[in-house]
Amino acid sequence: MTSVPLVSVFSADDSSKVTAKHIPLPAVFQTPIRPDIVSFVHTNIAKNRRQAHAVNPQAGMQHSAESWGTGRAVARIPRVSGSGTHRSGQAAFGNQCRKGRMSLPIKVWRRWHRRVNIKQKRHAAATAVAATGIVPLVLARGHRISQVPQIPLVVEDKIESYEKTTDALNFLKRFGAFEDVQKVVSTKVVRAGISKQRGKKYRVRKGPLVVYFNENAKLLKAFRNVPGVEVVNVTRLNLLQLAPGGQLGRFVIWTQSAFAHLDKLFGTYRYTSIIKDGYQLLRPLITNPDLARIINSNQVQEKVQPAKTTKVLHEVQKKNPLKNSKAMDRLNPYAKKQRAAAVAAIKANTKGTKKIKKNKALKKASRAAYNKVAASLNDATKAAVQEEQDIKVKYFSVQKGAAQTE
Amino acid sequence: MSQKKPQMQVEQKVPENIVKKTARDTKLREAVAKRRTERLAANKTRRAQWDKNAQAYENEYKAADKSLIDNIRKAKSEGGFYVPAESKLILVVRIRGINTLNPQVRQTLRLLKLRQLHNAAFVRVNKATIEMIRKVEPYVTYGYPSRAVIKNLIYKRGYAKINGQRIPITNNNVIEQQLGKVGIHSIEDLIHEIVTVGPNFKEANRFLWAFKLRGPRGGFIAKRKSFINQGDWGNREDLINDLVKRMI
Repeated sequence: MTSVPLVSVFSADDSSKVTAKHIPLPAVFQTPIRPDIVSFVHTNIAKNRRQAHAVNPQAGMQHSAESWGTGRAVARIPRVSGSGTHRSGQAAFGNQCRKGRMSLPIKVWRRWHRRVNIKQKRHAAATAVAATGIVPLVLARGHRISQVPQIPLVVEDKIESYEKTTDALNFLKRFGAFEDVQKVVSTKVVRAGISKQRGKKYRVRKGPLVVYFNENAKLLKAFRNVPGVEVVNVTRLNLLQLAPGGQLGRFVIWTQSAFAHLDKLFGTYRYTSIIKDGYQLLRPLITNPDLARIINSNQVQEKVQPAKTTKVLHEVQKKNPLKNSKAMDRLNPYAKKQRAAAVAAIKANTKGTKKIKKNKALKKASRAAYNKVAASLNDATKAAVQEEQDIKVKYFSVQKGAAQTE
Repeated sequence: MSQKKPQMQVEQKVPENIVKKTARDTKLREAVAKRRTERLAANKTRRAQWDKNAQAYENEYKAADKSLIDNIRKAKSEGGFYVPAESKLILVVRIRGINTLNPQVRQTLRLLKLRQLHNAAFVRVNKATIEMIRKVEPYVTYGYPSRAVIKNLIYKRGYAKINGQRIPITNNNVIEQQLGKVGIHSIEDLIHEIVTVGPNFKEANRFLWAFKLRGPRGGFIAKRKSFINQGDWGNREDLINDLVKRMI
């Protein structure tokens, strides 16, 4: 790698003035981003601040309760001995019982802390530092950095001598970091849940992290009262601060000497670290991020197989060839000729037959004869119908007459 | 006295990626086009061959029909009888469901490809298969299919077994891919092989999935009785055609 990313150091008093141009980025910022390592290390390291607590070992057990056994139409749970009070005969001891002890009571010798391999912790810290230099990650974490002149933000060491909070505030305002502080202030909420009665009343967001180097720096007191801002020495960088909640991309403000110390702290890709004895930064899996160029390179294209065509063997829908002539012709080209031959055969069969000529005279005569017969038939049927009707009338009139008399 | 800086000559360079990719793409496109023309030409000759074969088979069938009629007439004129050769092909149709089956019967039905009610399959006639059919006789009906029925079955209900999958025979590529190596290239070739029980009948029949027929329109007479006893199961010789026509 011949080209190295460069970074400017800004003047503490004037955000437009640059005191040192083109300082090379420490090698830590080139570390591959490994959220998996960070999340693993974070979940374990976060457990190390816990204080032991436990339930009173005697809780729920301070009775001489005994089970009544079978045969008394009650459950076999131990029951409080004695009499003269409501409590006697009530169930006791079990986790399911009212006033009983909990199941698996918490003991102080629960394993509160976790150890993590040193190398993993170091890789996590390195990755977290690298992530602070990537704008999208910092934005994604939720920091308001749109007015910040540069990420990573490196400022001259003058801020280490700030004693007054006003100086600190003005400094943050100058560098566009105040928006992040305002976010912290405006989103301070009373915590949900019982923790508020246990000393954790407010939920406060994380703002910028200021990293300094010189031990006798006074900036800690200056920045202490600014909400959301944390101050830490570069030799004591903490993953819990660099990646709060396991989320990469804290907004970090570096002083120049702290920034310069990072190479000694984490080492480079050429030299292992001096301070973290023998520690070598993680190497990326691939060094060339230009995937398009890799894929289109001659070396890859030579080995590449031709693209598979999704060739379907058969048509999507089966059509009945006995009914669908197109489907039939697809299968059997001779079928078309057979159909044509069949049609031709019918035509040929009917070719010689004469058309029967209509004899009009004959037609007229036969029609007349038919009508005559029909008419005569009609006369006969008319008479029959009339007769039937007469009978009916006679019958009904007789009935009527009969009804009237009765 | 600021001198005017010379304009930087920037030649419009196309990125290397794009140059390589366009070259590759044109080459691929040309190859595809070439393959297409070749394929179309090949298809033309193939279709001509299918046409020719189908025509040849039609003549063969006509000749076979004619010779049968001639033989019968000849025998009659001589006062004798013409007994045509026994059919080499049997069409078996399963008429019983899957419940309460004797395990041997179950296995034999599976061997005959009859795994389901109203499944039909072609079976070559030889001692072995006759014994198999005898074993499952009360659960099937069978007979000697006519050419028309064979043709209709394969056209309408013809599915192929390819890689264990049931693929409809919608074009001759389906057949060519599996049976091309034994000389069956089109559906008419396949039908001919089944009808005449040719030398590659085994492959042709294996290629075919069992025909899944519908229940017969008009129903069965009595599946509990044998065909001979005015029922349905067993050998019904040529009358299988009437049944299958109602089931296609």
